[in-house]
Amino acid sequence: METLVQSLVSGILTGSLYAMIGVGLTIIFGVMRIINMAHGDMVMLGMYSSFWALTLWNIDPFVSIVFWVPVAFLIGMLTYRFLLKKIVPAGELNTLLYTAGLSLFVSNLALLVWTGDYRTIKLDYAVMPLRPFGIAVPIPLAIAFGMAILITALLYWFLVKTDTGRAIRATSQEPMAAALMGVNAAQMEMLTFGLGTALACGAGVLLAPSLYLYPTVGEILVAKCFVIVVLGGLGSVQGAIAGGLLLGVVESLGAVYVSVPYKDAIGFVIFLLVLLFRPSGLFGVGKS
Amino acid sequence: MALLDVEGLTKCFGGLKAVSNLSFQVNEGEILGLIGPNGAGKTTVFSLITGFVPPNEGKVLLEGKDIVGLKPYSIAHKGVARTFQIVKPFRKLTVLENVSLAAFLRHSARKEAEAEARRVLERVELIDKAASYASDLTLSEQKRLEIARALATNPKVLLLDEPMGGLNPTEIDHASILVRDICKSGVTIVWVEHVLKAIMNSCHRVIVIHHGEKIADMPPEQIVINPVVIEAYLGKKANSYKKGEPIC
Amino acid sequence: MKKTVLIIIGLIVLGIAPLVVRSPFFVHLMIMVLMWTVLGASWNILGGYAGQVSFGHATFLGAGAYTTMILYLSCGVDPWYGIFIGGIVAVLISLPIGFICFRLRGPYFSLSTLAVAEIVRLVALNWESLTAGPVGLLITTLPQVSFFGKAINWESKVPFYYIIAIITLIALIITYIVSRTRVGAYLLALREDIDSAESIGINTVKARVVALALSAFLAGIAGGFYAMYLRYVDPDAVFSIGLSVEMLFIAVVGGLATVGGPLIGAIVLVTLGESFREHFLSGHLIFYGFFMMLAIRYMPDGVWGRINTLFKKLRLKKDVNHGTA
Repeated sequence: METLVQSLVSGILTGSLYAMIGVGLTIIFGVMRIINMAHGDMVMLGMYSSFWALTLWNIDPFVSIVFWVPVAFLIGMLTYRFLLKKIVPAGELNTLLYTAGLSLFVSNLALLVWTGDYRTIKLDYAVMPLRPFGIAVPIPLAIAFGMAILITALLYWFLVKTDTGRAIRATSQEPMAAALMGVNAAQMEMLTFGLGTALACGAGVLLAPSLYLYPTVGEILVAKCFVIVVLGGLGSVQGAIAGGLLLGVVESLGAVYVSVPYKDAIGFVIFLLVLLFRPSGLFGVGKS
Repeated sequence: MALLDVEGLTKCFGGLKAVSNLSFQVNEGEILGLIGPNGAGKTTVFSLITGFVPPNEGKVLLEGKDIVGLKPYSIAHKGVARTFQIVKPFRKLTVLENVSLAAFLRHSARKEAEAEARRVLERVELIDKAASYASDLTLSEQKRLEIARALATNPKVLLLDEPMGGLNPTEIDHASILVRDICKSGVTIVWVEHVLKAIMNSCHRVIVIHHGEKIADMPPEQIVINPVVIEAYLGKKANSYKKGEPIC
Repeated sequence: MKKTVLIIIGLIVLGIAPLVVRSPFFVHLMIMVLMWTVLGASWNILGGYAGQVSFGHATFLGAGAYTTMILYLSCGVDPWYGIFIGGIVAVLISLPIGFICFRLRGPYFSLSTLAVAEIVRLVALNWESLTAGPVGLLITTLPQVSFFGKAINWESKVPFYYIIAIITLIALIITYIVSRTRVGAYLLALREDIDSAESIGINTVKARVVALALSAFLAGIAGGFYAMYLRYVDPDAVFSIGLSVEMLFIAVVGGLATVGGPLIGAIVLVTLGESFREHFLSGHLIFYGFFMMLAIRYMPDGVWGRINTLFKKLRLKKDVNHGTA
């Protein structure tokens, strides 16, 4: 019983970060129809940003996130403006291949600059986990969980309540109609790519104290991201949140009750089953 | 025996009956018009006959043999060709390649297929565009390419799905002549169209579908004065409509 | 005429190259270029001609590599038969994969192949009784083979060069036949529009399965060769997503749906890549990524494709003039 609760708790904690990354990927897909293969590398860059801020300037990751997120937002907008804008009209497959190229470029450049060594972030307050009700909760992960919820909620509020957010959602649902209503699609796309990148990067900053850092970590993360957004239905924000939490829990339960080596395979099997039988996602809200 | 015999065809999408117990016959050598208001189920009928969508009930007999349940490609083999309402050319291939691909169905050698494709392109007056990419054609040319591709499979029955949609009056007259010409060469035609004038001038017989059901099956001159048809098209306004005057 | 002369010159260069240039690095480079040509050609049949973009082709490479290796190590099957059997096993594995993934279209197909490939990699990593898991399989000696009464020296790279040169020729000939016959035309139709293809009598399921099987066969053979050349396989070396992506890049940069494209792509990318690999282990991937972005942005038809379209347009114009005159 305790094991079950324990793995549920750690599943939800990790899942919240998965959700944050997944939301980033899904809004980019929703607005631009880009399946961004480089999304995982944005998380990787966030992790390294977090690492270097601590190592070089001695700034705690949960503080440095305050300036890394806006920086990532800017980088995302620039990436869209100078690298992707001309590619998007060429269709889904071309952008898929293009971002795969971008991903390879970024991750191997990181490998060149930062070497393939595994790195970890050590925080003084992270040595002992909290033990509420006898369940071990690592402090950095707990803080990351809180911040992930806060950021995701802020984004959700932005999308639902503000005019710009509404314009983004309109573009996502009916690009033509939105354009006719005077929404500047190009601007919305740039904004959305910035937001998606900021979410991925921010999640990376938050994840850094809890994971090993290495330049190709994005490869496995982007694969997980696809699982998440397909579970939730491509393009759906709520779906991505639910998908992220679900994947976190499934992985954590799978590691305990199925087998550790096949933990990652469980996600992919579910992914295939959903693609085959519920292509619009478990909740039936995605677009195919 | 009719060339194509549709018996009790029914298709439901969810709770909606898109086609309901539809029966009709197509005789060899005729041009049969298939008309009806928007959403009447005309395109669905084509998809059912050509195997793109499986019917819930009913039979489609081609020369007496049931073809329901066959895949679209084998129905094409048996001699039923169709065009698509929203044109679907092979965009990144040339016009000649588009049509040759269809001609491969009856000619396995590339040279023969290309020769057949050229013959068909001359008939539809697209031969000048043989080397252009399909994506570079005008809509009117793409519609003719659709017809050319279907013709190149050497069909017994040709199902045309709105070949006139989006064309201007001159192009429509031009296309009507083409359709009649194809019929004269021995291909039986079933023709879905919104441009009623073209249908009335060219068809031997017209079937009207409304809400998935057949409401009329008669020569074109009678269709235009049939009260049931007029009501289906014009709704309640039919009362104020002068009797005997054609609807188009 | 000109083409025939070019091909004959190409064959002669291919035949005498390792005899003229004796530097082992150069021979190794040419072996790598040819092997990646086969892999690019394999990917090109499915991804280029049939338009089914796979992110999981390493599965077939790995299947070929492991089959050849295991058959040699545990049953003593001569690798040169083993490579062929490896191709067959890759085809057998491709059938259930096709059954699952071909239900999906476009980017969804790509994502599903990625997922299948990851599952296969994890299975290979954990099925230790068959694959020895992450430790990998190693062979120390290759069997004695004589060629015209002379024992072949496997320590030299030259025999490997000729073996892969023959495999490459086979791959290019298969691609050429595909491109010239009805099969290739059908695959192109499939890439452009599945509904239209069905409506003109093409069995699109069969066409896709044929493309996948041919593609898997070539990748499996290349995988078998890879295992024998390196004399070592482990799951990350032959089943990684990175390999799938490299195959795809070579085909795209060279030119999709062209016979010579994979050769050009392999020459450009592998030569650059291997020279950088000298200085830094995955330096070549930086350039692969960079070239990929350049290719999609400025040359979506690839290097070879660009040249080919120009020729094709000229030729067709001539044909039309003849036809109407």
